[in-house]
Formats: sequence, C-alpha cells, structure tokens
Amino acid sequence: MSLSRILAVARRVAQGFRRDERTLGLMFVAPLVITGLLGWVMRDQTDTVVDVVVVNDAGLIGDRIVAALETAAADPANHVAIAGVVADEAAAEASIRDGSGDLAIVIPDDLLAAVTSGQRPTLTVISAGIEPAAEAGNFGTLQSVMAGVAAELVPPGGTPPLLPKIEHETVFLSPDADQVDVFAPIFLGFFGYFFVYILTGISFLRERVGGTLERLLATPVTRGEIVLGYSLGFGIFATLQVLLLSAFILNSVTTPVLGPIPAFTIGLGVSSAGSAWIAIVMALLLSIGAVNLGIFLSTFARTELQIMQFIPLVIVPQGLLSGLLWPVERLPDALQVIAHLLPLTYAVEGLRAVMLKGADLSSNVVQVDLAVLAGVALIFVLLASLTIKREVV
Amino acid sequence: MIGAGVAPMARPAVEALGLRKAFGSITAVDGIDLALEPGRIYGMLGPNGAGKTTLIRLLAGLARPTAGEARILGTRMPSREALASIGYMPQSEAIYPELSVGENLGFFARLEGRAGKAAIDRVLDLVELSGRKGAPALELSGGMRRRLSLACTLVHEPKVLFLDEPTVGVDPALRVQFWTHFRRLAAAGTTILVASHVMDEADRCDELLFVRDGKVIGRGTGAELRQRAGVDDLEAAFLIMSGLDPEGRPIAPAAGKPQAGGSADGAA
Repeated sequence: MSLSRILAVARRVAQGFRRDERTLGLMFVAPLVITGLLGWVMRDQTDTVVDVVVVNDAGLIGDRIVAALETAAADPANHVAIAGVVADEAAAEASIRDGSGDLAIVIPDDLLAAVTSGQRPTLTVISAGIEPAAEAGNFGTLQSVMAGVAAELVPPGGTPPLLPKIEHETVFLSPDADQVDVFAPIFLGFFGYFFVYILTGISFLRERVGGTLERLLATPVTRGEIVLGYSLGFGIFATLQVLLLSAFILNSVTTPVLGPIPAFTIGLGVSSAGSAWIAIVMALLLSIGAVNLGIFLSTFARTELQIMQFIPLVIVPQGLLSGLLWPVERLPDALQVIAHLLPLTYAVEGLRAVMLKGADLSSNVVQVDLAVLAGVALIFVLLASLTIKREVV
Repeated sequence: MIGAGVAPMARPAVEALGLRKAFGSITAVDGIDLALEPGRIYGMLGPNGAGKTTLIRLLAGLARPTAGEARILGTRMPSREALASIGYMPQSEAIYPELSVGENLGFFARLEGRAGKAAIDRVLDLVELSGRKGAPALELSGGMRRRLSLACTLVHEPKVLFLDEPTVGVDPALRVQFWTHFRRLAAAGTTILVASHVMDEADRCDELLFVRDGKVIGRGTGAELRQRAGVDDLEAAFLIMSGLDPEGRPIAPAAGKPQAGGSADGAA
C-alpha cells in the first residue's frame, strides 16, 4: 500500500470530474432539482373541492340532510361542493362518469326507520374507483362533513345518532381493485418510453461517435430515411415489447405445485375495461416519440454515460408530473402547465381512460390523447432529423 | 502555378475552386484550387492536422465550405445525387461491429441501391474476406476491418474514390494488393484521391499533392517534386517545400518562439 499511489488515483478521479461539468451537474444539481420538485408536488397540491352528488331516497328527512350539506358546502373550509341532487343512482354514476361529480352519496329510503328504531343506517358512497389514494382523501373529506351535518340535525339534548355504516361502490373498477389495477396502464406507457429512449439514445450515439453516421451521409441516404428507418427498426421491437408487457399485465397464469416449487402466478391479470388495441397504439406512438427523442438527445452526448445522465432530466420529471403518482389536476398550477407539455401525461390519461374507464375512439379524451401522441412523435421525428443535419456542418 | 500545371484533357472528375473551411479561428482548408483528371491516382501527403481529411470531406460533400466550391463530375457539392458516384473510406472503420461481414456489406450496398449478391461477393473476393462472410465484424483483426471498410466503399463501383489513410494497419502483402487494385480501378476510369502521411506509398500515385496548413504547397509527380526540391527523398522534399531543412528545423530562424524540432507530424 502506498499512500501516494492511492492519492494519485483519487487525484485522477477528481481531475476527470472537474472537466466533466455534466457529471458535476448530475451529482450536485439534479438531486436538488428532483428533491425540490418532489417537495413542491407533495406540499403544494391544490386543495381540490370534492364535488358531491346526492341521491335522496329518504324524502323529507333527506331534504333536511341535503339542506344541511348545502350549508356546510357554503363554508369553503369544508372543501365540499354539492354538484347536484339527482333522483337515482344511475344519474349519480353518470355524473361521476362524465367527471362532474367526484363522489355520490345515497341517502336510503329506510333512513328514518333505522334511526328511530335505533339501528345503524347504511349510506352508500359511490366513487370512480380509478384513483384509490385520491378517492380515499375525498372520502375522508365527505365523512367529516357528514359528521358535522349529523350532529347539527340532532335536536339539542337528543341522543347523538349512531354512525351510519358506509357501503362503498365504484363506477369503473371493483371497489377492491388494488394499486396494481390502477397502475397497470401506466406501466405500459412508462416502461416502453424509458427503455426505448435508452436503447435508441445509446445506439444512435454509437453511430455518431463511431463514424458510421458520417459514413452513411456519404451515401445517397437522406436524413429522413435514416430517422424513419430507425423508428421502424426500433418500432418493431417496441411493438413486441408492448405486446409482451400488455399480455403480462392483462393475463395471469398460475403454475401448479412442482415438487419443492410452490404454485405461483405469472402475469398480473388486470382487467382492461376497453380495447387493448387502442392502448397498444397509444403505447406505440409514445415509443416512436421515445426513439426519436433518443436520436435527438444523442446529439448532446459524447458517451453512453451521458445518455444515462439525461434520465433525471427527461424521465424523472415525467414520472413525477405526468399523473403517474398524483392526479395532474392536483399539481400546483405552474407544474400543471409543465405536465401538459409532457407526452407521458397524455399517454397516462389516455391509457387510463381506455383501460380503466373503457373509453373507445368515440371518446373525446382518447381522440385528443391519440392526436397529441401522434403529434409529439412527429415533432420528435423532425427534431431528430434536424440534429442529423448538424453533423454535416 | 500550383494546380494549374497541366491543361485538363477531359472535364475534371474532381474540382476545387478557392475552397476554404474555417472552424472558428482555425482555418483547416485555406483556399485550395484543384482539378483532378479522371482515371488517375492522386496522393495527398501532409502531416496530421494539415487539412487532408477536411479537404476530402469538403470534396465528398460531407461538409459545407466556408468559401469557394467543390465539384464532382461537374456537380456542385454537397449534392446527394453526386454521392451515388462517390466512394468515401473514412480514416476510422465505419462498420457495425455487431453485424457480420456480409451484413455490413449488404447494408451499404442497399443504401447505394445495389442489393445484388453478386456485387457483395465481388468486393468480398477483392479484399479476400469471402471466407469470413458470416463472421461478426467485432471478431475481425484490425487489418481485416480496414479491408471490410474498403469493400463497403467499393460495393457500388464509384467513379470517384476518396480514401483517407486506407492502408493503416494493413500488412505489407495486402498493401501491395490494395494498390494493385487501386491501379486496376484507375485503369477502368476511376479517379482516386488517397490521403496518407506514409511517404513510401507516394510513388505508387500518378501525381502527388503536398498539403500543409490547409494549402497545397506542391503538386507534381514524385520525380518532379524531388527535382524541384533538389533532393532524392520525398520526405525531405516535403520539408523543404514547407520551408524547413531536411531535419525539420526552420531554414530561416522563425520570428517569435523557436519552433519545436522533429518530424513534420508535429505540425498542428
């Protein structure tokens, strides 16, 4: 062991670092940016008002509850708004489906009978069932408002009412759908995007650095032909990837017990409400965008490490802001603007609409998302071919 | 007098008119005029950094000149149409290591619009790689990779060939074969410009261009250049025409800091 040789190695590392601004940035700036972004997103989520639809089956006593709810809703501190009072559950579900209501509460016709006979009444609460975390929050908000309402309805000196039993129903997925069901559409979009970007980025970087790109430009090939060829070549593998991943997500096979190996399940067995093909087309459009993003960003990298260094810049913000973890509507306003510039936001929205809500091509959301994803793919194709021109100074 | 020595018999295959290329404050090619006749082999000699590669890239239409123009077979470069009649072998082997020898050739052949197996087998034969057609390029030796790179350059039978240091890493026996083949191509009408800093290849060329600091400082056959410099050795002739003595020292002491001694390779 020689201290001077150890120091020589350490010195070499430090010297290399000093010259590599990008690695320095990655080490010192990226964690700050990402941590700051995370903090911002988590702390400053817009306090959304829960839009409640009331189904009143209980007649007069129901009217009193609705009136009390409306009084409570008038206080902004309660974060509740009455989106409407409707005649039956079907109408309530329709308003959750179209997004005008977040939750519906059904006041049952036997409410009065239950209360007077000293039984716990049963209230039914209906939610969309696609964002468990956000819906649980809404649920809590409604619950505390309801507790206030119940206390108010009791005449002074009367016995406090028994807490009602709550039955939870959902419009889209089953009430006991787990996080996997909810995140499955996102896996499809995010992983396709991520891996395709890394692969093309590195592969095209090799073309640029290894001199083959320059050699290609000495043949009659056009830039557009190179970019489209790349999109097609990687597109084939992206298609296979998407097909395999969707098969894994949508199906599940349980293997029998084999000797010491216990039975286990392959695949997630998530049920897709809508057409798997629309979902696959969305994932593919996203991949084509990712292929060309890889080509585009490879211009700004000299080594494969530098392609990886773009991940915190390109992939992480999309992960935080695109609605993967938190609904876009809840982000701080400034971040919502950014979220709407990110292709993954549209893919997540579209894939969710198709797979969880069963939306098809006639849905406005699906049309817009498909159009945006196609547009983004086209823009990245153009950007990518422009960077190839740069090569022929 | 430079570059205008012989009245061209036919339309020149390669022309440069006041060709200039600057990268920021560095002028890599500094006003070069050239006319290369069809069916001849031109050798371009000069130290590293003399501007040989940049000149080839300008002539082949891979870079846009800062001033002046380059013409290939009468077409102003850069022109994609003219690229079909140009073969360019870059200094580094531009081949795909993950593809096999045959797949590399097939790829470049298809880009050039020559998908036929015959074209591929012809050039494979030529560079003696027929036996390695299925081998991944990754597993080839340095010399074999040069040969593959040359084969990729020749697959579409170009009329004008730019070869940037084609024989680096090629063993002497194969080097002789390379030159035999270049000679055969020239006889068939191909114009060849070979950049090199190996002076011993120079005598195989019909005509030589001495390039230094982005300028052509001498042009003629090997014999003419030796005679003009009054020495028997081409390397010495080059140094003399660069304003240096045969040991590489400035003949007249340079103003300012003294120039480092040593070979012409040290020039920036």
